[in-house]
Amino acid sequence: MRTITYSEAIREAMSQIMRHNPDVFIMGEDIGVYGGAFGLTNGMIEEFGAERVRITPISEAAITGCATGAAMTGMRPILEIQFSDFVMIAADNLVNQAAKMRYMFGGKAKVPMVVRLPGGSGAGFAAQHSQSLEAWMTHIPGLKVVQPSNAYDAKGLMIAAINDDNPVLFYEHKLLYNETGEVPREEYEIPLGKAHVKRTGSDVTIVATGIMVKKAMEAAEELEKDGILAEIIDPRTLVPLDQEVIINSVKKTGRVLVVHEAVKRGGYGAEIASMIAESDAFDYLDAPIKRLGGVETPIPYNPGLEQKAVPQVQDMLQECRKIVME
Amino acid sequence: MVSKVVMPKLGATMEKGTIVKWLAPVGDYVESGDPIAEIQTDKITLEIEAEASGVLLKTLYDEGSEVTVQEVIAYIGQEDEKIIEKCEDHITEETTIEGNLFFKDKIRRTPAARKLARIYQINLENVPGTGRMGMIKKSDVENYLANNKKTSPLSDTVHLKEPHLVSSPGPDQSGNKPIPISAEVVDDQRMKLTGIRKVVADRMTQSMQIPQVTLMSEVDMTNCVELRKNLLPIIEKTNGFRLSYNDILIKIVAHTIRRYPTLNASLQNDEIVCHSSVNIGFAVDTPAGLVVPVVKNAQKLGLVSITETCNQLIRLAREGNLKYEQMREGTLTISNLGKYEIDEFTPIINPPEAAILGVGRIRPKPVVINEEIKIKSTMKLSLTFDHRIVDGAPAAAFLSALKETLECPYQLFM
Repeated sequence: MRTITYSEAIREAMSQIMRHNPDVFIMGEDIGVYGGAFGLTNGMIEEFGAERVRITPISEAAITGCATGAAMTGMRPILEIQFSDFVMIAADNLVNQAAKMRYMFGGKAKVPMVVRLPGGSGAGFAAQHSQSLEAWMTHIPGLKVVQPSNAYDAKGLMIAAINDDNPVLFYEHKLLYNETGEVPREEYEIPLGKAHVKRTGSDVTIVATGIMVKKAMEAAEELEKDGILAEIIDPRTLVPLDQEVIINSVKKTGRVLVVHEAVKRGGYGAEIASMIAESDAFDYLDAPIKRLGGVETPIPYNPGLEQKAVPQVQDMLQECRKIVME
Repeated sequence: MVSKVVMPKLGATMEKGTIVKWLAPVGDYVESGDPIAEIQTDKITLEIEAEASGVLLKTLYDEGSEVTVQEVIAYIGQEDEKIIEKCEDHITEETTIEGNLFFKDKIRRTPAARKLARIYQINLENVPGTGRMGMIKKSDVENYLANNKKTSPLSDTVHLKEPHLVSSPGPDQSGNKPIPISAEVVDDQRMKLTGIRKVVADRMTQSMQIPQVTLMSEVDMTNCVELRKNLLPIIEKTNGFRLSYNDILIKIVAHTIRRYPTLNASLQNDEIVCHSSVNIGFAVDTPAGLVVPVVKNAQKLGLVSITETCNQLIRLAREGNLKYEQMREGTLTISNLGKYEIDEFTPIINPPEAAILGVGRIRPKPVVINEEIKIKSTMKLSLTFDHRIVDGAPAAAFLSALKETLECPYQLFM
């Protein structure tokens, strides 16, 4: 199978649907000739024209409000928030409007929109452009939250997100944009709410999200040299969350490490950890549930410090060894 | 107000009961009358019901613990209510500190270890913990199980270490690895005396305090064999059950014993009580141990009813579902070992009953009748009686009458 990058996979998903569904259009800052801040929409304005590739003023509130209205009238907008950090400018439209509309109109109005949110650290963009705030959005009923960790999932999840009748927040990781992977040419959907067992193992379950899946895979390779077999679960969507796959894995291994890049305190890992503790996997636990998340600091500009602020492979190795040995 | 849940006393001889299972988790609201625990006592399993509505504040014993009757086993009350009493006689001493329940020196164990211990009924006190701060982990319980094989009947199913082999002292002549010789080193098997086993042990020890005598007699069962042969298809057609010799014995014993009231009797507080009804207990071997369900008012029942009653009781006994009521008030016990290669034995009285009848196998044997040798189906009966209640002569008279009725079962029509 051919190999393409994570960003190409997302672009391909959008383009393929736009070719046969005239209701789908994209909007955002600099997404036209410039191709978006990360080049994701390169060439799209040439193919679909300015009507369907809408360059907007620098106002996330305006983009989101506009998209919400368009979605309610039957369109299927995909909007790009240049950096996911800027989503708070659009918070009212997302949290108070888009998330509530379907409920408040008794199901008669739908809000089929996708909000693309490049997030995460590691690219030297400093404190205001490197955050992982996905846990904020998981708290809001009415919003779905997706976090693909590789090119294949990115395309399948993007198609599922566009076809979903609810607002979907699509968290992309900047450092994954250039990661390559095998991606089929045809359109395919990965249903929202289905986790993926990336690697099977018997000694410890690592539930990792976003870019942490890649790091967890590297950690698992190392752990295997010590005779520790880690099972890696990528939830792929935080809302809805595939509880069953996680619970079954924990029942099998009896030990669990939850890893995300976002700050540990109040992070989504807490949700996963409590879900496990409340489930019937509790009786199978042979060690306390552990979480690994970012340190409680704004992301530093200094590249060395930036690395230290978020979990690395070495941290996972250390935690897993402790969980298994203690 | 906090109310106590106590281990009930369900019989004169009951001193302790085992908590088999907690049916409501701590912190749950229970209505008065809701079952909250399953206890095992006197060979039966019963549910204890809550006497008050409220939150199950605390349970004082783990599942599997044996508790003396009238002992407090749990507290029910309002949420956040203080437990005033200090419970002294159990492992986890508790005391109240500023309204919060405070647990001292609890065994630290992981949920997985606790689950495994529950399945295999292991007391975690005996398991050394190797985890952080001495926490008992699943692997500790597995090791314990492997080193204490057959701790429970289920333990074979756990992943156990291979039994280690005693290897020969040195390399063999070819210089290869030592060849293991097939002498397995297996530790002695130890089982705690609990549950039914404990009840049987206590009752039998108690029984041996009784001055008891056993009388034996051989019975010609030819007519009974014939009777069973003829009635079996008829009864089977009526209710689907197969008539057994035990059913016939119960019928005939109940019919005969009415004429010998001191044998259908019991000694209660220096009083000999001759019972008006004949309640025949019969020993049933179950996976959990020996139990004795009782056929009540057997003197009033026909063979069809006896067959039905016995089959039902045997099924309940084997499933472990016999109720306390179904095992009490026996007036005489029959212990039938006829299905084994046993001719006669000395049964031991099931106190406070006056007698027990032991039954051996039925087998064809040469018998002298009118100076001629004939082959007859014979069976031996062993009657053990409490000599405090009854003397040898009436006991012998009863056994003779029993022999007579068995040899001529048509007397039942009279």
